Amino acid sequence: MDLRETPEEAAFRAEARAWLAANVPTEPLPSFDTAEGFALHREWEAKLYEAGWSAVSWPVEYGGRGLDYLLWLIFEEEYWRSGAPGRVSQNGIFLLGPTIIEVGTEEQKARFLPAMASSKEVWAQAWSEPDAGSDMASIRSKGTLSDDGTEWILNGQKIWASRAVWADWCFGIFRTDPESSRHKGLTFILVPLDTPGVTVRPIAQLDGDTGFAEIFFDDVHVPVENTLGGVGRGWNVAMATAGFERGVSLRSPARFNVAVERLIELWVAIGDPDDDTMRDAVTDLWMQAEGYRLHTYMTVTKLLEGGTVGSESSLNKIFWSEMDLRAHELALQLLGPEAERMDGPFESWVDGFLFSLSGPIYAGTNEVQRNIIADRVLNLPRA
Amino acid sequence: MQFSFTTDQLEFAAGLRDMLEREFTAARLRHVWESGDAHDPALWSRLAEMGVLSMMVPEADGGLGGNFVDTILLVEELGRAAVPGPVVETMALGALALSGTKWAPGVVDGSTPVTAALLGERYVPHAAVAPLVLVAHGGNVELLESPIRSDETIGGIDGGRGLSTLMDITGGTALDADLAGLTDAGALASAAYLLGLSSRMLAIAGDYARDRRQFGQPIGAFQAVKHLMADALLKVEFSRPAIYRAAWSFANDTPDRGRDVSMAKALASDGAQKAARSALQVHGAIGYTWECDLQLFMKKAWALIPAWGSAQHHRRRVADAVLGRR
Repeated sequence: MDLRETPEEAAFRAEARAWLAANVPTEPLPSFDTAEGFALHREWEAKLYEAGWSAVSWPVEYGGRGLDYLLWLIFEEEYWRSGAPGRVSQNGIFLLGPTIIEVGTEEQKARFLPAMASSKEVWAQAWSEPDAGSDMASIRSKGTLSDDGTEWILNGQKIWASRAVWADWCFGIFRTDPESSRHKGLTFILVPLDTPGVTVRPIAQLDGDTGFAEIFFDDVHVPVENTLGGVGRGWNVAMATAGFERGVSLRSPARFNVAVERLIELWVAIGDPDDDTMRDAVTDLWMQAEGYRLHTYMTVTKLLEGGTVGSESSLNKIFWSEMDLRAHELALQLLGPEAERMDGPFESWVDGFLFSLSGPIYAGTNEVQRNIIADRVLNLPRA
Repeated sequence: MQFSFTTDQLEFAAGLRDMLEREFTAARLRHVWESGDAHDPALWSRLAEMGVLSMMVPEADGGLGGNFVDTILLVEELGRAAVPGPVVETMALGALALSGTKWAPGVVDGSTPVTAALLGERYVPHAAVAPLVLVAHGGNVELLESPIRSDETIGGIDGGRGLSTLMDITGGTALDADLAGLTDAGALASAAYLLGLSSRMLAIAGDYARDRRQFGQPIGAFQAVKHLMADALLKVEFSRPAIYRAAWSFANDTPDRGRDVSMAKALASDGAQKAARSALQVHGAIGYTWECDLQLFMKKAWALIPAWGSAQHHRRRVADAVLGRR
């Protein structure tokens, strides 16, 4: 055990910090859930890519730097500390990208990864359906092979597709064996959103922005080459993606450490120094964020030493989502009357509060995560 | 940055765990409690022989010369088995405070267990079985040899702690030891011991939830039980890295040592509280009996949670470090 940074790590941190200090927009960009904000975030992603920062843990040939996850964590720390924009590319770079790297063909890697890293193509995810939310295995959207066997013909409906309103592509699973049920007979398919027969209907989120959408598939033809990981293996491929999402990549600790640092600044600025209850609560949040950071460093060391991360990644998802929500609840409590105002100097806390409410729901509700922990980590009997 | 243990450290801990699982069963622990001895001299000798007690004793004194990172997993294993007697006090405080003195060999060979009353404890644990007691006077650490104990019997919640009051804590031998370092060592070792206890309580509750059937199925298949246990596991598992990190901070005497130790003790205490409460609830009425082994582990946790500073005390110390003193 050595918790000091190596000279290599320190040098990398300094390099990232210097580039970010010189390049991060001085004014925050508008939300990427708006048309203008989405375009500006895409420009920012291109700039990140040009400088080699968009996907540092990816192999060099696909637009990354081939760095290990420890250095990736350091980059993330510097990224969020610098106040850089949120990652409009996240569904691609942090979810689909690692899955393509793991199970994709060489052609797929060459075709999709560089354009994903540069955000020339931004990806939306298309998991849920109106009747397949927490119960994702009840998916009904269909994929049927064309008579000549060269195309999938897709029909059905996906919902809660983040980023779909302005994205270029989506990825999701479709039932390709009509005789199948539950986890079998599903295939992971990549779909350009401008294909004829695709209709995207925006849904306004709690904050009023159209951050997610419904996607309707009406005889949508896509080449069978867009199959990721083999016909009928969609559930396993999706679980690899979802596991990674919950585990390490989707929410690196740095953003929570930064949120808690901001909470501490807020407490110092406007908190009542005699309010010990609030002081204890803020301290608890600091310990949680720090605990999550340490937990992630321990997980990443394990991965680097040849270990694997399994269902215990569900612990992370519950932990960060509830911590984030708690931090924002406390901030609003500190803000008092200002917490009601959406356009004032504390807008980012109110916006952040609304966003934090989605954390316990997306990427698998926390109730589903608790079931996974109970079944696969604690080995309790299945219901 | 490398946040993991060496193969040697992991294997030593695994060996200790094997030995305790084989030789120190819950039935034997129960016997220690019911005998009123609050100590198991045969087990103590076994721990001395394995080098567990002397991990942090310098090699010059015949110990293994390890640091807190080498020790932390061992204490966790002792907690998993709820080993009675002054293990935390001897392994962490005795080893550090008595290094280079004539008393160090007695730590190594197990002949003189050490206990401590550095925070002015009203009820001193283990004083009946430990002839050496560390006390503090005016910020200095002193050693009392077989101090006179009150005749009054003090029944503690944990049958492995043997509480006494000391009639006179003056006249000890001054030691060249750092009081703040020793109290941090006590808090940190207690945190690791609590982590082991928490894991054990959840394991016991898991076994019961798989075995006990109601409404025609094992109770562990009910979502209410699953979520209760998942929440407890969450709290315990996120205390783990904080405890290991504090061991590193202690071993390397970093400027954040006090903050990190306090974070470890606060989180370990909260985790153990939650694990005990959840494990009891999973058991239902049987968990509320003297006969159920769970009580041996819960009561040890309830005794250690306030020891070496409560969660609240340590949370305030973290607050001072992070938010500024007030």
